[in-house]
Amino acid sequence: MLFENVRTAFVALLENRLRSLLTLLGVVIGVFAVTSTVSLGEIATAGITGEIQAFGSQTLFVQVLFDEPGAEPFTDDDVEALSRLPIAILLQQTAGATGVVGEERVSLRLVGTVADAPEIDRSIELARGRYFSPDDAARAASVIVLSADAAEELFPNDDDPVGEDILVEVRGGRVLYTVIGVKEPVGGALGTFANDVSGDLPLETLYRDVPGIRQGEYDFLPISIDLDRDASIVEQQVTSILDRRRPPDTYAVQTIEGALSLFNTITVILQALLGGIGAISLLVGGIGILNIMLVSVTERTREIGLRKALGATPQTILQQFLIEAVFLTVLGGAVGVALSIASLWGIVQVVPFLDVFVINPVVVAMAFLVSVATGVIFGVWPARRAAALSPIEALRYE
Amino acid sequence: MNDASHANHAPNAMTGDAPTPGQAAASRPVIEAHDLRKVYTLGAGMEVHALRGLDLRVMPGEYAAIMGPSGSGKSTLLQILGCLDTPTSGSYQLSGEEVADLDEERLSQVRNRRIGFVFQAYNLLGRASALENVALPLMYRGVNARARRDAARNALDRVGLADRMGHRPNELSGGQKQRVAIARALATEPDILLADEPTGNLDSKTGQEILGLFDALHAEGRTILMVTHEEDVAEHTERIIRIRDGVVEASESVTQRRRPTLMPGGAEG
Ligand SMILES: Nc1ncnc2c1ncn2[C@@H]1O[C@H](COP(=O)(O)OP(=O)(O)OP(=O)(O)O)[C@@H](O)[C@H]1O
Ligand SMILES: [Mg+2]
Repeated sequence: MLFENVRTAFVALLENRLRSLLTLLGVVIGVFAVTSTVSLGEIATAGITGEIQAFGSQTLFVQVLFDEPGAEPFTDDDVEALSRLPIAILLQQTAGATGVVGEERVSLRLVGTVADAPEIDRSIELARGRYFSPDDAARAASVIVLSADAAEELFPNDDDPVGEDILVEVRGGRVLYTVIGVKEPVGGALGTFANDVSGDLPLETLYRDVPGIRQGEYDFLPISIDLDRDASIVEQQVTSILDRRRPPDTYAVQTIEGALSLFNTITVILQALLGGIGAISLLVGGIGILNIMLVSVTERTREIGLRKALGATPQTILQQFLIEAVFLTVLGGAVGVALSIASLWGIVQVVPFLDVFVINPVVVAMAFLVSVATGVIFGVWPARRAAALSPIEALRYE
Repeated sequence: MNDASHANHAPNAMTGDAPTPGQAAASRPVIEAHDLRKVYTLGAGMEVHALRGLDLRVMPGEYAAIMGPSGSGKSTLLQILGCLDTPTSGSYQLSGEEVADLDEERLSQVRNRRIGFVFQAYNLLGRASALENVALPLMYRGVNARARRDAARNALDRVGLADRMGHRPNELSGGQKQRVAIARALATEPDILLADEPTGNLDSKTGQEILGLFDALHAEGRTILMVTHEEDVAEHTERIIRIRDGVVEASESVTQRRRPTLMPGGAEG
């Protein structure tokens, strides 16, 4: 009988293609909407969280607030005072310049820094060649390590510009630098800001070649905290040392988390919003299923009466309706989840700062369950009522 | 064109106890209804009394016609006898079993195995072919697919629809639908056949064929109750049960009425 009923159920589904399709659609929409919206929020959050982890939560930025009265750049004395702490300070000075290679003229930011910069700024990784050495720094070598974007723009047709020379025009002077390395592009949320057309070179080289740079003064100090230290305590220590040396409020100490806290607020709001939209879609999908199921059972009360008149037991009839409802809703749920995975995967591929694909199994299960439950309850419950009527009452039903 | 519409033959032997030729030994009535009442409640407290204390006895193997004016309760009675509807009050025993005491499971079995019902309105599944419609009750009996098809083919063949098996009801004429409904009732080989105006939509030739089929079923010993408006169709049976206003008004044995009296042309209005 079960087999016969499965057959009967499938025949009924096929015979009522439009009705079956609409029910299916209700489930697909409900499951798809909930799964996608909630997962999208999580993907966005994961993208940002992943970024924080990539950068290392053990990072601080100290920055002069030049708009405040009495604000002065940091000096080598400040750096000296801070160096008692378990931190490494990335000293850097920048200057705007123009890089020239053959016909290409590209505006290029020169970043003078120290040879152990890659150890301090953990986001620096080399795609080609090498970073400059302490020896290069000591003799102010004319070498440059290009950012991925700079290499791309200066050498559009050259995969490996290591060893090539660049003519750099800076503040009226012209110097020739040899490319010794190319950095990896910085991925993730910060990458969209951190990637720029720049080249790293020894501070000593910068001082020699660029007139007018204030030697030993810094506006911005990235600080890397030793991994085994508590970042919030070190942050307080940095603040208390600097407070003794300069007017408070003329500088700011920020963690990566701090810099990203706005992002976090946005994603929380986003997630709540998307979750809400998802819940509403699930409700709408559910009402759709409910409506079609109710209409179809009313329509089919006569069929139920006839089947009973010919000797079907109420259980047999309920089983048929149950099979129909379960099949439709489970199929719809599967299609919804598949669509949702496909479109989320597509979004992750296309949107640059989303790079973690997550799909929350709890949300999928919940959406699935709610849809299946709506379908089954509102498919079987009215059928149950119809099957409890006498065959004639059911046959007369309008 | 048999017509013996001279009314007012003495209302003899009110209910039951009609002689059943060839079945004399049959002791217990197959159908025994006592004081059956059916009240339909309409909206606004209106009530329709379709059956008003009806008594009826039918012996196994009997072949009887139920006649009466439109609205007199014939269909209502037949549906209750077919276990398709429940009376408001009164007792109905099927082969000695009180039907009101049967549970759903048992009722389904009775409907499926013992009773073949031909509805006045056919009641075919619109989206299924004639063959599938006829095979449906056999599915609920647990007969395998091939045996179902064979039985359904056979039944359709008997009602002269061998060439319409794949047609859906909306591709059939009224008379053809009626014959599909009859075939469906026959396919299960029930021992009780209840037919609500089975020849109502048939031309006289096809009607005669169906009556011939009923004769054959009768000869096999099946009990047949048939609602009809046509005297000549009723004449075909052994007994005519006349119903008026929800009670049995008369029960006439056809053999006592000197069967075919031919008066060509005039059927009673
Ligand atoms: N579902 C119902 N609700 C209310 N009244 C009903 C219902 N079914 C039948 N009736 C009424 O019960 C009475 C008997 O109806 P029934 O169908 O048994 O008549 P009938 O003898 O079969 O008539 P016909 O020869 O026209 O088929 C009628 O007055 C009818 O209006
Ligand atoms: Mg009727």
